[in-house]
Amino acid sequence: MMNPEALQYSKSHEWVKFEEDGTASIGLTDYAQNALGDLVFVNLPEIGDAVEAGEAFGDVESVKAVSDVFSPVSGIVDEINEELLDAPETMNSEPYEAWLIRVKEITEKEELMDAKAYEAFCESQEE
Amino acid sequence: MIEKLTYCETENTYPYRNLAEEAYLTFHVEKGECILFLWQNRQTVVIGKNQNCWKECRVSQLEEGGGYLVRRLSGGGAVFHDLGNLNFTFCVREEDYDVSRQMDVILEAVRLLGIEAEKTGRNDITADGRKFSGNAFYRSGGCCYHHGTLLVDVDQRKMAEYLQVSKEKLESKGVNSVRSRTVNLKELNPLITVDALKDALRKAFGMVYSLPVQPLAPERMDSAEIGRLQQKFESHSWKYGRPIPFQHGMAQRFAWGDVQLQFQVNCGRVTDVNVFSDGMEQDFLSALPELWKDCPYDAASLCCAMDQYRGENGGDQAFSQTLSQTFSQTLSQTLSQMKEDIASLLRANL
Repeated sequence: MMNPEALQYSKSHEWVKFEEDGTASIGLTDYAQNALGDLVFVNLPEIGDAVEAGEAFGDVESVKAVSDVFSPVSGIVDEINEELLDAPETMNSEPYEAWLIRVKEITEKEELMDAKAYEAFCESQEE
Repeated sequence: MIEKLTYCETENTYPYRNLAEEAYLTFHVEKGECILFLWQNRQTVVIGKNQNCWKECRVSQLEEGGGYLVRRLSGGGAVFHDLGNLNFTFCVREEDYDVSRQMDVILEAVRLLGIEAEKTGRNDITADGRKFSGNAFYRSGGCCYHHGTLLVDVDQRKMAEYLQVSKEKLESKGVNSVRSRTVNLKELNPLITVDALKDALRKAFGMVYSLPVQPLAPERMDSAEIGRLQQKFESHSWKYGRPIPFQHGMAQRFAWGDVQLQFQVNCGRVTDVNVFSDGMEQDFLSALPELWKDCPYDAASLCCAMDQYRGENGGDQAFSQTLSQTFSQTLSQTLSQMKEDIASLLRANL
């Protein structure tokens, strides 16, 4: 699957979409879902919780492991994708549609990559 | 690349301490190091990170029998531990994480004890098609663990008693356990003991990685931080309070009538209750939902809340005196019988 050009990417394999209203959506990349395998559960924070760049905000359980999910930005959780609670497999089938949380009042962000740099980063991980 | 093997075992059998030490070692493993940690829990049911404990385990029975309920960091299903079970944990950095190599250590160890075993599915190790080891995995921020059980001589009667729950009336999100046919290693080779298995694991660890095995330097364990982790694993909110909403129904016929309870629970607390009953004492029955609201979802707390009920006129001397003594005695006997029966229904189902 191609990584969309409009998104930015973290080294811990999350994607971020900065929206025009100043919020950011965060999800797991195709590389991440592929490495994790079939996802069976997701733990999300609550609306109003603070998230911090580089810190875990939730976790996903796949048939292989429980893995923490890291926030690429600091801010306040504005929305969570409740549909994923009933259908975690969407993160496997539609990784770039299946956002986990939307963050507002962003004060900080991690160093992020564009699609091209992220692809190169993933290739280097394969070695 | 793994360049250093570290071995650690503990005499402690208090489960929350063991999970704290395991987490501590995982977060402090060095680059290029693989730690093998061996530990045992006394009478414990360990559930996966995202499981509903009431669905997987007879919590009341376990705790009344002196056992512990533990929620681990890794995923997967519920398992029973006692001192006939040995647990292993491999702690490594993400770049050195290699499940099949770690599994090889286990396979090699039992081979040294004369048992041919194989990896089955993703998470089990079996001999003759029967499972003696269940494995689970966790990763966070570049640190990983792979841990598992090894059934040496586990009390299978207790295992069945605590784990085999038929809760078709409990509807919950979360991860369900898969039941397996299990076998104790001792059945396959009567000479196997927990100590013999520990020795074999240490030997196999060095053989599979072709490196010397060093004991863990005790000063690497920071007891203050381990204490903090232990508190997390012991806490009510971690064990019972995960945001996994569910509904749980239970019903029984008693001498005084039918009763049906329908609980809605989230984060380990009752959010709503429906009580249906054709029993006498409707005042008592209709007071229950209010008494149980926000109550922690465990049998003891629910019983305690139920005991708050004294009857609308319970404290009213004047009213009691207007009733004939026999009638008021019968009433209070019925009430205490109802409380007792509902308490036993709760204990059997929670």
